[in-house]
Amino acid sequence: MRPGRLPLGRCVVLLLVAAVGAVLTTGLRDGAAPPTGGPSPAPAPRLAGSTLDGGRFDLAEARGHVVVVNVFASWCGPCRDELPLLVDAARRWAPDGLRVVGLNLRDGPEAVRALLAETGADDLTVVPDPDGTRGVEWGVRGVPETFVVDRDGRIVARHQGVVDRQWLDRWVTPLVEAA
Amino acid sequence: MSRRRLFGALAVAALLAATAVGLLRSSAPDADPVREVARDLRCPACQGESVADSTSPIAAAMRQAVADQLAQGRSPAQIRRWFADRYGDEVLAGAPADGMSLLLWAVPAVALLGAGGAAIRTLRPRRRRRAGAPRRSPAAAGTAPVTRVPAARRVWWASGAGIVALVVTVAVAAERLDGGGPPAAPADPVAVTLQLARDLEQRQRYDAAAELYRDALRDHPDDGVQLRLGFALLRAGDAAGAERTVRDVLTRSPDSPDGLLVLGLAQRRTRPADAPVTLRRFLTVAPHHPAAAEITRLLDR
Repeated sequence: MRPGRLPLGRCVVLLLVAAVGAVLTTGLRDGAAPPTGGPSPAPAPRLAGSTLDGGRFDLAEARGHVVVVNVFASWCGPCRDELPLLVDAARRWAPDGLRVVGLNLRDGPEAVRALLAETGADDLTVVPDPDGTRGVEWGVRGVPETFVVDRDGRIVARHQGVVDRQWLDRWVTPLVEAA
Repeated sequence: MSRRRLFGALAVAALLAATAVGLLRSSAPDADPVREVARDLRCPACQGESVADSTSPIAAAMRQAVADQLAQGRSPAQIRRWFADRYGDEVLAGAPADGMSLLLWAVPAVALLGAGGAAIRTLRPRRRRRAGAPRRSPAAAGTAPVTRVPAARRVWWASGAGIVALVVTVAVAAERLDGGGPPAAPADPVAVTLQLARDLEQRQRYDAAAELYRDALRDHPDDGVQLRLGFALLRAGDAAGAERTVRDVLTRSPDSPDGLLVLGLAQRRTRPADAPVTLRRFLTVAPHHPAAAEITRLLDR
């Protein structure tokens, strides 16, 4: 071997390692990228059923309201963190026609009630989704996931992961102000 | 045949047999139709796992959605399209491969070819080297002993045997490594609805509880649930509704103690003359029922 030159075998190994690294990095980044925002509004799937407090909720009857649908579960730590923000948003924009609905994915009523009590979200309208099929109908990829539905029943934004005040301001403010 | 050749032939035979077992297993149709469809769907919350294999809650929910749709008579192709409409084409396991996916196939293939080439170079007979002076790099010449080449060959043989053993083990034991049976059943929505309803009854929200019992009965007709509905309606003040509900159960089980109890109590409001007869029958059928003492007091008044 001449000094300063790598043998062919080592070059191939190095290239392979680099290629595997590139594949893994790209794959992991693609998989972790949460869908957010909304390129084109699509009609929201059906969402109707008994609520945790024994009432009924039907998204079709909420036309004319802006609806934030938050998919959550008591076994999901980040969901716990964002509930107070959603409750605050519900209170802040209720006079402007905003409704916040929790779609409770694969959970039990006691656990959810405890979570709602802990986070001060007792007033939240919660539709239980014990087998998760309602969430699947919405194309939910994980919890938490949040959808903004406009007054015409179209999904205008979605976000996988914890939402923050900026995200809500960006997507909800124009809709409630358009009333 | 030398021992080395025999070992080589055995290794190749084991690899071929393991490949055949693996191919047979992966191409054999699945007995469970839900799993068969779920196998062709990628879990959107996982890395490289199918909906059939993933234990994530979303994959479990997707399996339930597949089961529901199969029960409605939808075809696997229609179900796959339904999922693609919601999750995009990338949810389909057979989606066209893009550049990165091709690289994912190409890298192991190139690595195998490279390793195979290097193994052949090391393992082939080196008559020329044995005949003449060994050609070694100047760096290695001073330190490496004469046994360097046989040591490298041993490493290759050991690695080869290790890979063969790994492939054979995976091919044979994959079934057991799979998690030891079908994935856990998803949460039973009827059970959760019933739990919610009982919860509401305890909070004396009988109307709402009755509504939930009706929901549960739509999915899962059951006399026990229907009797709970009867009790809830009675407590909500709908005696006629309670009577209708339990009469339905009593046509199937004329001696149902709870059926007779609710009917008798409902009749005290709808047809007071018939109530004592029904309640006495209740006491005859179930003298040790928790409500028996209270009913006896009621009749003695």
